[in-house]
Parts: sequence; C-alpha cells; structure tokens
Amino acid sequence: MPVISVRDLTRVYQVGDIEVRALRGVSLDVEAGEFVSVTGPSGSGKSTFMHILGCLDRPTSGQYFLDGRDVSRLSRNELAAIRNHQIGFVFQGFNLLSRTSAIENVELPLLYNGRPSKTSERHRRAMEALRLVGLEDRAHHYPNQLSGGQQQRVAIARALINNPSILLADEPTGNLDTRTSIEVMDVFQRLNAERGITVLLITHERDIAEYGTRMVSFRDGHIVSDEKITRRRIAAEEMAALPPVAV
Amino acid sequence: MSIVMTFRIALKALNRNKMRTMLTMLGMIIGVGAVITMVALGNGASQSIEQQIASAGTNVIMVNAGNFTTGGVRMGAGASNTLMPEDAEAIRNEVPGVQYVAAGVDQGAQIVAGNQNWFSRVQGTDVELPLIRAWATESGSFFTPADVASAAKVCVIGTTVRDMLFPDGTDPVGQVIRIRNQPFKVIGVMASRGQSAMGQDQDDVVFAPYTTIQKKFRGITYIQNITVSAASADHIKKVAEDITALLRARHRIQPDESDDFMVRTLEDIAAMRTETTRTMTALLASIAGVSLLVGGIGIMNIMLVSVTERTREIGLRLAIGARGRDVLTQFLVEAIVISLLGGFIGIGLGYGVSRGLTRFLEWPTFITPQAVGVAFGFAAATGIFFGFYPARKASALDPIEALRYE
Repeated sequence: MPVISVRDLTRVYQVGDIEVRALRGVSLDVEAGEFVSVTGPSGSGKSTFMHILGCLDRPTSGQYFLDGRDVSRLSRNELAAIRNHQIGFVFQGFNLLSRTSAIENVELPLLYNGRPSKTSERHRRAMEALRLVGLEDRAHHYPNQLSGGQQQRVAIARALINNPSILLADEPTGNLDTRTSIEVMDVFQRLNAERGITVLLITHERDIAEYGTRMVSFRDGHIVSDEKITRRRIAAEEMAALPPVAV
Repeated sequence: MSIVMTFRIALKALNRNKMRTMLTMLGMIIGVGAVITMVALGNGASQSIEQQIASAGTNVIMVNAGNFTTGGVRMGAGASNTLMPEDAEAIRNEVPGVQYVAAGVDQGAQIVAGNQNWFSRVQGTDVELPLIRAWATESGSFFTPADVASAAKVCVIGTTVRDMLFPDGTDPVGQVIRIRNQPFKVIGVMASRGQSAMGQDQDDVVFAPYTTIQKKFRGITYIQNITVSAASADHIKKVAEDITALLRARHRIQPDESDDFMVRTLEDIAAMRTETTRTMTALLASIAGVSLLVGGIGIMNIMLVSVTERTREIGLRLAIGARGRDVLTQFLVEAIVISLLGGFIGIGLGYGVSRGLTRFLEWPTFITPQAVGVAFGFAAATGIFFGFYPARKASALDPIEALRYE
C-alpha cells in the first residue's frame, strides 16, 4: 500500500473575482521508503501540492489517502493531529524559535501530541532525534549560536520526533550555501536509507532534486513528468570529495 | 496540552522578552497597587471613625436645646432657653432604658494659672458624664453630687489644658486656676483621649459642675444640653424616641409645632461620617480603577504586537500540530500571567505604600482581604478580557499564510 496516494486533486483559489486554478487534477502514488523530489517553476502548483500533502490545506476536489486513510475532508483539528503524528515539516527558513535551545525546539511537537509526557521522557526522545542528525553535542545551544546547516538539522530533528510517516521538506537548502546544502541532503539521504523514512523534497533546483530517487515535475497545475533518477547524487561521497574547511 | 505545560510555555515566551513583559506588567502593578492603597486609605479612615465612635460610646444620645427650624426661623442649636435641669431629671426617672444622664452648660473662657493662660471650653456637666463617655481620670477625681448641688468652684482639666497651664510639669491637682477671673480648684486630670471623630482635640477641655457655670458665669437657670446613655445600644432608637415624646410633652409643644430641642444619637453622626468616607473611598477607588483599565489596554496593545511579531512562530506551531485552541490558550495564558504576576506585585506594592503612609504620614490604612481579592480578581479579569481578542486573532491565523509572513 502506498504511503501517499492522491487522485484527481484540484485546488482553486478565489482571489477577488478571479479563480486561480493552482492544481488541475493531480494523481500520484508514493511508496514507503521513496525519496521523491518535486520540482517545477514558481506558480507551477508544487507549493499548493505540498500544502495539501502536508495537511495544511484541503483540496477543492479529489482524494488524498495518507497511510490508507482519506484525509481530504477532515476538520481543522483533525488535520492538526495528522500534522503532528504523521508528517514532519522542514522549511526553507528553518522556523526555529529564537532564544530557545535546540533541544527545546526539537521537543516542541511533543507538546501537541495529546499525550502527557514527562520532561525526562521528552528530553530523551529529543536527544535521540538530535543524535540522528548528528547534533547531540549542540543540544543546549541557541539557534543564533548555530550555523545555517546546523539550524536546518535541528529543524529536521524536530520533524522526526513524533516518528512521522513522511518527511516534507520545502526548499530546505534555499537559504544554505553549497557545502551546508550537501550536509543537509546527506542527513535526508541517511534517514531515508537507514531508517526507511519517506522523503518528499520540494525544490526548484534541479541539482538538489537529483539527491532523490524519483523526480516529479509540475507545470501549470499538472504533473508533466514522473521519472526515476538514473544518476543519483550521493551527498556522503560529495562531502568526502570537498576540500577541507579552513578553520 | 496540560495547564501546567501551558503556563510553562507562557512563562518561557514572556521570559524571552523580559523588558517588554516588565513594562506591560508595570501598568498592572500600578493599577492594582493604586486600587489597594486607595481602598486601604478609605477603609482606614472609616475604621478609625468607627473606633472613635465606639470609644465615645455607641449608646450615647445627645439632647441639645433649640432647633434649626423653630417656627421657620433658624435659631441654631443652643438658642433656646426652654431646656431645664428638671428635664434631665425627668428623662432619668421616666424614660425606660436610660442608664446615665448629665445636664450640660458650656462656656468658653480664658483660663489663667500663674503666668500661663489658655482659652478653652469649660464644659459644665454632671457627675455621670465620665460614666457615659467611659472616660476615667488620670489623676485626682471627678467632682461629686455635693459639688454640683453646692455649685462648687472645682474643675477637672484635660491633658491639653494641663500641658498649656502647667508646662513645667507641676501636678495640677490641688492647684487653683482662674477661670474668667474666678478661682477654681483643680481636683482631677482626665486621661488623654486624642482627637474625636470630628477632628476636635478632646483633651482641650475643662469640666466643672453645670450648676457652677449657670450661677457663677451665666446667671441662667436653663441648660444647653443633656447627654444620655442608654442601657443597651440595641434600644437606642426607642430611647431617643421616648425622650423626644417626653420633652415635647413637658414643653407643651402642640402636634403641629416643631421641637425646640434636638435629639441625636452618635450613631446618626457616625453614619453620616461613614457615608462621606465611603463616597470618598469609592471616588478614589474608581480613579485607581481607571489606571487598572489603562493597564489592561496596555496588555492588549502588547499582545497584539506580539501576535503580529510572532506570526511565523504561530504558523510553525500550527504546522507541527497545534490546534487553534492550543494557540488561543497560549496567548490567553500569557496575558493572564502578565496580569496575575502584575496583580501579585501590585498587591505587594499597595501593601507597602499603605504601610508607608501609616508609618510616615500617620494616615490610618486598613487592607481588607476583600479589597485584595477584588483587585486581584479584576487583574485576572482584565488579563482575560484584554488578552482574548489578540489570542483569538492568533488562533484564527491560516498556517500557510502565517508561515509565509515576513
């Protein structure tokens, strides 16, 4: 059974008197363990698609099955619960709370998962998530004491803490330089390969898209191509090949 | 999300912007502090009045000769000469529930002792006055019925008069002083009483038998007032009515004529004073309440700014699974924490200022638990009321819009 299955998804915005048809009938299946890159120029509908997959928005018509459950008609609160339990978000701008330590940022989704938990238990889980992104020694640093790449890895740890079915990354390298972009993509590739986490990566950069296993391209609200990536970039190899950082 | 967690999150959020939190809280602190202080001042004033009234005796009835409206012409109290010593006797013998009676005639007089002199009120009265006013002598003794019967030239002085006439500390008892050039023997000194409910110095007084004042100074047979005490404070109204009826009968006043005397209880006087004080307290408290309101608006203002500023944070919280309700609670609790903390500190401030006023300016203050409760309740209500709109606004944000907000 696919993790994500969408059928004939449309989304129409009403902007004043004008109807904007952002999605015009999109169907897609994503199997567990895939690493799908979603690309397309701005205005192609990929962000709208991402918002619907992330349960931040509801489609105008069509169906969306997440883990086999139709989530396209759920209420605001039900969607909030899905976002908490089944989806991990990684944003371009990191969206970490300032003046809040890395570990507290990572713990944040645990506050909303509807299960009371002990402080020690939350700490343990947050540390585990930080270990997955290789930042356990930075747990008590504040965001302004971390580099962009490190901040994004904290954000990934936060996305992972509730063991979601999918990880949705919206331009995660948009604010990063080449080296830190590779670092972050390495984290995604390892999580995908070692822990079998399904990753959906939204990017308009073709070379970033090539870190995935499959590339889906959007144009004018349609999927125009859906192909396996034949020459996949491996971040770990590229990192080894990079010249060492001058300290 | 548990309420404990919510409070911790709110405290953390407030801690991230300490300066702003402090300034916002200041509005609340000053508001609550002002309310507490003002109410404490008002309560202190009424309480001290009540205490003085109680010490003067709540069961005291004053009968004054004359009335403000005799025959349509305002004569002023004491302007009538129809009140006689026999009226006092009749009240004692004929009105049930009367305990003590003292007839009185006053005379302002220059008093001389050695090379000192002082102007004071010489209160001609009867032997039962100390019993009515529950007022003992500090040294010596009060005059006796024999002194009254013989119109003896003896007197008992208050401590203020003693201090003025005998500044060197001589014991006045046994000394002879001159009142209006007539020699009087001082036979006692009254204990110090301080200010009366009306703000008069009760110790600035000389007591002498009323018969002496009548005969030696004024050459009259009538009296100016009668001080009566009822056996019990419960029947004071009834006793006052009976006295009125008795005096009307004795003075042969027709039903359509007004009294030529005035009967008042200390309770009437106290009630009037308390009413004035209460009005004053309400006025002060409402002015203080305005500052509480302004503090509340300050909270709303800051919370609105905070919501706008933290739009992305709200978007993120929504994206990671916070429901609208969670966001609403978070911002509401932040507002409440500000107002409650401000309320707590304000109560402390109000308490401190009240104590300071009592200590350094000797203004009586009294902090009631009700005043504290009301001020605190108002602070919490202000937080909820003014925090709700911004919190509501935050919770209604669209997560996508909020995340995009720059």
